[in-house]
Amino acid sequence: MEREVAGYLPGLPADQVDWRTLTFARGNEALEVAVPVLTDAQVAALAARVRDAARRTLKTRMVADIAATIDRAVARLLDRDDPWRRKAERLLPLVTGYDAEMVRLGLTGYLKTFRRPELQKFLVEDFANPSILDDFQPMPKGGFAKAFGPELLLHVWAGNVPGLPLWSLISGLLVKAGTVGKVPTAEPLFAGWFAQILAEVDPDLADCLAIVWWKGGDEAQELIWLAQADTVVAYGGNDALAAIRGRVPITTRFLPYGHKISFGMVARAALDAGKASMVANRAAYDVVRYDQQGCYSPQLFFVERGGRVSPREFAGYLASELAAYETRFPRRALSMAEAGSVASWRNVEEMKSFAQPTRTLLGDPAGAWSVAYADAPEGLSPCGLNRTVTVVAVDRLEDAVPGLAPHRAFLQTVGVAASPEELHRLAGLLGAVGVTRICALGRMTAPEAGWHHDGRFNLLDLVTLTEIEQSAEQAADAFARYVD
Amino acid sequence: MSDGRASESRVIEELLAFIGADGADEDAFNRMALAVFAHQFEHNQPYRRFAVQRGRTARTVKSWRDVPAVPISAFKELTLTCRPPEACERVFMTSGTTQGVRGKSHHPTMAVWDRSMTLNFRRRFMQDRERLRMGILFPTEEAMPNSSLARYLALAMRTFGAEGSRNFLGDGGLDIAAVTEDLARAEQAGEPYSLLGASYSFVHLMDALDGRRFALPEGSRILDTGGFKGQSREMEADAFYDQLSATFGVPRRSCINMYGMTELSSQFYDDGNEACPSVKSGPHWIRSRVVNPLTGEEVPKGTVGVLVHHDLAHFNCASAILTEDAGIAVEGGFRLLGRADGADAKGCSLAVEEFLKAARV
Repeated sequence: MEREVAGYLPGLPADQVDWRTLTFARGNEALEVAVPVLTDAQVAALAARVRDAARRTLKTRMVADIAATIDRAVARLLDRDDPWRRKAERLLPLVTGYDAEMVRLGLTGYLKTFRRPELQKFLVEDFANPSILDDFQPMPKGGFAKAFGPELLLHVWAGNVPGLPLWSLISGLLVKAGTVGKVPTAEPLFAGWFAQILAEVDPDLADCLAIVWWKGGDEAQELIWLAQADTVVAYGGNDALAAIRGRVPITTRFLPYGHKISFGMVARAALDAGKASMVANRAAYDVVRYDQQGCYSPQLFFVERGGRVSPREFAGYLASELAAYETRFPRRALSMAEAGSVASWRNVEEMKSFAQPTRTLLGDPAGAWSVAYADAPEGLSPCGLNRTVTVVAVDRLEDAVPGLAPHRAFLQTVGVAASPEELHRLAGLLGAVGVTRICALGRMTAPEAGWHHDGRFNLLDLVTLTEIEQSAEQAADAFARYVD
Repeated sequence: MSDGRASESRVIEELLAFIGADGADEDAFNRMALAVFAHQFEHNQPYRRFAVQRGRTARTVKSWRDVPAVPISAFKELTLTCRPPEACERVFMTSGTTQGVRGKSHHPTMAVWDRSMTLNFRRRFMQDRERLRMGILFPTEEAMPNSSLARYLALAMRTFGAEGSRNFLGDGGLDIAAVTEDLARAEQAGEPYSLLGASYSFVHLMDALDGRRFALPEGSRILDTGGFKGQSREMEADAFYDQLSATFGVPRRSCINMYGMTELSSQFYDDGNEACPSVKSGPHWIRSRVVNPLTGEEVPKGTVGVLVHHDLAHFNCASAILTEDAGIAVEGGFRLLGRADGADAKGCSLAVEEFLKAARV
């Protein structure tokens, strides 16, 4: 069986590390992934090494220079002939179960958002003057300021969407943080590869980051790592995040990213015979991409009545598009638990359709997609994931908004198909109830470079400012050698 | 409805005899199952619609395996009863809700439910004893008239409880002082004792005892059921039974877990929890299958699927139900593996479980 080693542990010889094996299988192919299990002493040594190296090298580099290094590493992964890229294309479908072509297209689209120009956009989104990361810069209020990233930034990643850890990992590097990332068991490889590529293209940075693993919820390991970090970025469900937060020292900054629900909105302007099928195609694409595992993946669509194509007909369009995509990007094999979730959701929908004849459930139980249709809004509720989606008919799109308000903490992306006036009117209403990202249908799973994840500042949230107040400058003048 | 009543009386009479028999082979089970299905198909309209939609009618179903299994969520959405609800003696409701809606099981008479419970309980829990002093870690039936578990425990105490048996959970919560006293008394008297209740109540009790230990006399037993349901901290099964055993001095083989549901009229038991997950089995009037939840087809023996139970005693609602519990068929029964839901969600997309949990707070 093929074997791959996960993680990146500068300074720790592999033969001194205890390894555990995770097994992944897809069809007839199987892969063993060795993940490191570190002792307390190794954790302490690794943390010290990363912290020191970052202090010595990363912190002294110009941010533009770091962006250039990241750009070179990303270029390797964009090059389909590069051995790293070939490995990613081969192994990520095996590990995550996603369709190989979907992974390939997804990787390219995603990695493109980390090329140098995109990183520059990323920087100016949060820092009007990114040089503030390099040196003290004059401030509008007077005085000077410099932004410092944490000495040791710990990322606790989750989920199986390929490459997702790259977001926060690159954010950390851009603010010059010594970086330790904990990979998820569901996809333990990509972050470690990226660290190795970085070390290859820029050996000076080799010791500035480490990629580790521990079993999710392993309290003992978590406690040691959490005690080492200055800032912790964590992803996961609210229970997992609450458990981590309970273990983070009070003086450590904690940035949680919880699970989210996203949805689409289709205005009647988008529902004439010509446009509706294109809109349904884009909506279906957002559903199919990574089988709705992303926080930005739509779980339902609110569709306005009064267009040429009725919401019920739109549900049918969506169903045919999902059926068509199944041929091109087959759904990955579901675990029994996932199949159970889909079945439970389908069963509830089916039972509701017995009780309320206007409700319908499209799609075969044994098939790879399902579309439920509801004739009236009934509050927000997640679907069964893995290509299950509800179409909810509304008289006007804003009728859906009051039902969203109670779920503010969980709302994230809304894919909108509407006229410019409506787009802006809806954006105001949606933003007020907690939605943080509005995009086109078909783009829901591909946030643009420099987006603000969950409405937060990816870089700014990581830094602290050191300010030189005007009084200090003025007072210093009195002590100058050339004072009159 | 006179037809309905006549059909119902006949089914009840046959069922009581069936349950009272020593056992049932495949043919006997099949005959009884088809009679119950015919009754339900005829008199339970929502179930009939469901069956017809699945392409199954009283005419086409020839084997109990073909009787369409209703998903347990149906008990929340539909009124699944042959007898009109208002004419039923008892209605049990699930403790868990989906957006405020509870699943309901209607019982025109408690005779079948009671017979099923007592015969099975005698065999699986009482074993060779007629009576046993019982401490019940659950509210009384009067306090929770819609709880099938309250009924179960009340019936156990009424039928098999020795003098001094009582409930320890009342308005003021778990009466720790009284349990402690009763346990100490049993310890001194050398009289076998039993503690029965919800799994989470045992966690509360053990937490409250704060390390205090008892050595209950030989022959003492524990029955827990239902898991933790977010009512107490979660414990791994092995840790739970280790702690039960250590706290009360009852060996793990005498710690029995009952698996039951509001949507059934019979219960499953294991023969102790020396090893977890234990093998669960039911009496001859209930049969279980392990299926792929999406296709409803049986999975090969030894692979994980979702449990379907066919409980003939549940004659008024729907005898065949598709659960949301994952299991694996083994010799002599099945191993229960917990809920088949999105709790192990792989992505960062909000799943139903977490959403509902947040909505409950």
